[in-house]
Amino acid sequence: MKHFNHVNAASVDDAVKLLGNSRGKASLMSGGTDLLGVLKDRILSDYPETVINIKTIPDLDRISEDAEGLRIGALARLEDIAQSPTVKAKYKVLAEAAAAVATPQIRRMGTLGGNLCQDVRCWYYRYPHHLGGRMICRRKGKGPCFAIKGDNRYNAILGAKSCFAVCPSDTAVALSALKAEIRIAGADGVRSVPVAGFYRPLGNVLKKDELVTEIAVSCPPEGCRQEFMKLTQRGSVDFSMVSVASVITLRDGICVDARITLGGVAPVPFSAVEAEQAIIGKPVNEIDAEAASEAAVMNAMPLSRNAYKVEITKTLVKRAIMKGLLSGKEIS
Amino acid sequence: MSAEYRFIGKATPRKDARDITTGRAKYINDISVPHMLYGKVLRSRHPHANIKDIDTSKAKALAGVKAVLTWKDVPDWKVGNPLHLRVLDSKVRFVGDTVALVAAETEEIACEALELIDVDYDILPAVYDVEKATEKGAPQLYDQFPDNILPPIAPFMGDNVLQNIVIGDTEAGFREADVISEGTYAYENIPNPLPPEPPGAVAEWESPDTVHLWISSQGPYFDRMTLFYMLGRKVNVKVTACQCGGSYGSKGNSSPIFLQAIMLAKASGRPVKLCLTKEEHLNAFTLRLGSRIQGKVGMKKDGTVTAISGNWLVNTGYYSLITQGQVAVGLGEAQLIVRCRNWDLKSKVVCTNRNASGWIRGFGGQELISALFLLLSDAMQKADIDPFEFFRKNFVKYGDSTIWRDGLWWTSKVIDFTKSMDKGAEAFDWYKKWQGWLKPTSINGTKRRGIGVGVLGNADAGEDVSESLIRLDPTHHAMLYTSICEQGTGQRSSLCKMAAEVLQIPPEHVYIVPQDPSVSPYDFGSVGSRGTYAMGAGVIKAAEDAKQKLFELAAPLLNAGAELLDTRDGMIFIKDKPEKIIPWRTAMGVTRTIFGYGRHEPDFSLCNILMSFVEVEVDIETGKIDLIRVVNATDVGQIIDPPCLENQLNSCIGSAAIDSAIFEETVLDDSNGRMLTANLIDYKWRTFADLPEIKNVILETPFPSHRFGAVGVGEITTAPGPSAVLMAVSNATGRRITEYPATPDRILKALGKL
Amino acid sequence: MRDNKKGDTVKKKVVKRATATGRTIGQHNINLVVNGNPYELLIGKDVNPEHTLAYTLRETLGYTGTKISCDHGACGACTVLMDGKPVLSCMTLTIECDRRSVTTIEGLEDPKTGKLHPIQQAFIDHTAFQCGFCTPGIIMSSKALLDENPSPSKQEIEDALAGHYCRCISHYHVLDAVSDVIRKSEVK
Repeated sequence: MKHFNHVNAASVDDAVKLLGNSRGKASLMSGGTDLLGVLKDRILSDYPETVINIKTIPDLDRISEDAEGLRIGALARLEDIAQSPTVKAKYKVLAEAAAAVATPQIRRMGTLGGNLCQDVRCWYYRYPHHLGGRMICRRKGKGPCFAIKGDNRYNAILGAKSCFAVCPSDTAVALSALKAEIRIAGADGVRSVPVAGFYRPLGNVLKKDELVTEIAVSCPPEGCRQEFMKLTQRGSVDFSMVSVASVITLRDGICVDARITLGGVAPVPFSAVEAEQAIIGKPVNEIDAEAASEAAVMNAMPLSRNAYKVEITKTLVKRAIMKGLLSGKEIS
Repeated sequence: MSAEYRFIGKATPRKDARDITTGRAKYINDISVPHMLYGKVLRSRHPHANIKDIDTSKAKALAGVKAVLTWKDVPDWKVGNPLHLRVLDSKVRFVGDTVALVAAETEEIACEALELIDVDYDILPAVYDVEKATEKGAPQLYDQFPDNILPPIAPFMGDNVLQNIVIGDTEAGFREADVISEGTYAYENIPNPLPPEPPGAVAEWESPDTVHLWISSQGPYFDRMTLFYMLGRKVNVKVTACQCGGSYGSKGNSSPIFLQAIMLAKASGRPVKLCLTKEEHLNAFTLRLGSRIQGKVGMKKDGTVTAISGNWLVNTGYYSLITQGQVAVGLGEAQLIVRCRNWDLKSKVVCTNRNASGWIRGFGGQELISALFLLLSDAMQKADIDPFEFFRKNFVKYGDSTIWRDGLWWTSKVIDFTKSMDKGAEAFDWYKKWQGWLKPTSINGTKRRGIGVGVLGNADAGEDVSESLIRLDPTHHAMLYTSICEQGTGQRSSLCKMAAEVLQIPPEHVYIVPQDPSVSPYDFGSVGSRGTYAMGAGVIKAAEDAKQKLFELAAPLLNAGAELLDTRDGMIFIKDKPEKIIPWRTAMGVTRTIFGYGRHEPDFSLCNILMSFVEVEVDIETGKIDLIRVVNATDVGQIIDPPCLENQLNSCIGSAAIDSAIFEETVLDDSNGRMLTANLIDYKWRTFADLPEIKNVILETPFPSHRFGAVGVGEITTAPGPSAVLMAVSNATGRRITEYPATPDRILKALGKL
Repeated sequence: MRDNKKGDTVKKKVVKRATATGRTIGQHNINLVVNGNPYELLIGKDVNPEHTLAYTLRETLGYTGTKISCDHGACGACTVLMDGKPVLSCMTLTIECDRRSVTTIEGLEDPKTGKLHPIQQAFIDHTAFQCGFCTPGIIMSSKALLDENPSPSKQEIEDALAGHYCRCISHYHVLDAVSDVIRKSEVK
């Protein structure tokens, strides 16, 4: 790799200060499983002068639960989240999403904050500079979106306008269904944003001097049923072609709450509001999962090569609802 | 069979096993020589362009840079068949093509220097489609190849190299047929065999006329020889072949890299290591041929193929190293699997503006049959013929004559392969599972299972010349001198085992020289499944020759004719009077070694066989395919090393094989010439989490090959799978799936869901 | 340090071995233990911030048994053990490994007797490799698995190795080899 300076952050405040002083020429490093790939391929015109290691910040990797819910430090490893008895018991959809990421080694090294903040996987965006020159696209600041007219089989079918790359994070999909909040620290203080609001069409909401410190998940509804489904071509390594996270709550045979989030289909973890509304308030035996799945994709605008994602999304939504309704296993 | 032999047919630890499992085995990127520089390649961002101007002054001025080369700075060294690709040229022909070379003290400095080279391109239109490239007015890649068609020659395969099959009377054949199938089918997803180790070389000039090259290769002697000729026969080329981290044929296309390393070493005056990154490996190194057939097949209801005609368009990418040779072998293999009297199948090798296709396991046969089978299976379906029965009937039989790659008729001396096919079918439970064309074997909710079968044989199992020397030492050990690399087959160890069996000394006492063709005699290389038969024959003959000489020395001491003697564990005795016995060293004397020589001449009369049965499960709501089960059936005459053979057969799900029908492909954006599968996440390969059940059915019916009656089979294990999978997926879904790979979008579209 | 076989030319790097008395005073350094051998790497001299652990192991310290294949964390070839856990050395910065203990493939055999680790022996016995390029990484992940869970199921073995690229398809023999180690350790 090209040279960069390296500094260890001693605390969150230290990291914020280092970011502020860097004038936008620093990158944060947690697990490194995304950042180093970006740097090795020189996919961006800018290259950091400094890499700020935040793994040295103490206590940022905790997984804890209190009366309000789950709190996960940004540096918590995906493997630890996947294996945490607390997460598996009450926040199953998150445990399953974390367990579905990549490979065992990446889950060992990768952090939740890193998984949420990782850069997109669009193969035009990721084209290695040393092969034939990086591709300068809308997401990189100027130029077209190559996916629109190109090979867009893995690109977005929903909610995209200027950039059709999909949000690559599996945990974001699960956390969105859990209505989690992302806690951010910066020079202006700390703030919280809902997971769904963390992502923007061309990036995320982090300012240049901000970092994710924690993810807070309120206790899910009593007795809810959680499912995470990820369709890939292979059993390991792959990012989602399509994924669905669902948190469905039944009371006395009636669906009283439903949160269904779609992954791999939009630049953000996409709340399938229409599908949710199609089942909320209905008795279980009147729920038409097929119709709900159609509602989930009613606004889909596929590109030339990714119409298949519409079909797969419908299938996964339908299956997630059916499994949620039929499974006797409630999360208490 | 195994009972007859002490060592053959029994598992023996590989000689390099300890080195591999302890990290001692040295691969090309592990090599380091004093004062070594690192080479890097500046690559074209355009698919087709002339280099109008190139300014390297800033790069040269960067501290740590020791050489920068462009097309103006280097000799007119060319590669290709015929020689047509200048190693550094003033024209670029694909995105990723070589524009300039840099050698520097570190890789980072070399990369930085690349950024400082200014290139002014005169951009030309590009063409990617094999048919469009041959149309009038298409962009021309080479002035000397009008319509981008390469000459149908392959000198090392002879003057009559097979490029077309024209036999009999196809018109009469079509008239005879009960059903006709016509259409255009393709296997054009150009997968990458992608060995784990990227290609590379280290070059060091030891004197003005001697260059030492460390390489990762399958055929070091052949590489050394071709480099000698490429360098104008003026340079002594020393080659040290390292442990090879996988090749599957592809590293046979490494000569441009070798020459680039040699150039940089010459220009800088220091050794240079040039190793590709994985991204370069994916996008600037060997892909499978693009194969498209516009054809017609006539078939009778009993499965007799009455005529095959058509055009086979082969897309070789930006150049051909050996593509015409692959065409020749592919056409030969087609005749082995389909016994037809009337052919009119003509080929064209076409160059286009993408990364090159080349020499890969399956060698033209896999590419041809993956397209041809779609034509054949359409006819089979129309005639309602069980495909297993079809292959069983049509696969080459003893006495059949076929035209092999050299354009000559060869009469086959093969054994009866139907036995191994039947055993395979039995192990797979074919007859129970086969429900008819486009009918699933079973339905379970949204999951449908379907089966398919494919087959290939290759008469290159005894191809080309192999020479071996063997030295007997008075210590009762032997040293084998064979130019063979270890690239995964375990062949170096297996050849030692063959020598051990002839000499009746333990395999641990047979050694093999390092991979240095300065030391060992001619060999074409460990390719094309020729290791077991061709190389084995050379080794066996050398061992027999040496043994004969040993017996001639022992005879007067034992007072018996040499023909009456035998040996075991370093002792020589009279067969009928085993108590009359002396050790080797008594016969030889401790100051003598004995050399034996063996040579194998090419024999194309024998072919091997690999039949693959596959079972898939398709989810008709998502289009996802799961590969459930594979049964491979073969007859190898005599197993030399059981685990090595099993490994080779298991690799049917490896190097651009079965999975090229499921998820493996190189994605080319033809709006800009970029290959988008530029990393190991976007390029799909099978993981430990996706293992199907594999059963290998291996018969041992002695071949008339050599002393052990064995033939190799590793090279074709990849070939039948892709077409078998498409057949299985079609049967599972009830729809004819004819595009590779059968990704979810294609399945869902075929099912009418899109 | 890697074996200096005859014919090999080892590129000498001046790397200070940490002494038993402690670190060098007055310089910024990284203390790393590799296969039980302590090293003191001076930043700016022996190691740059951008050096990956894979690079340092191979090029600076001579442990070429760890292989680099994709260099982007997708193939597992570069897997080493860091404090007993499998990590991708190509996606790890050496400068972030201060006071860590790394085990590479070279560290498995007994340095005095040459006795192989049971996993290495099992791989030999089952010919659980073909070209061998992916083998060191797979062995390291297998070791980490068995150290944590001496009796994994076949599924657990497959899951643990799911980050390894083997193109020759030695998977089946690898599973046999690992199962053999488990069986033998259970017998004991």
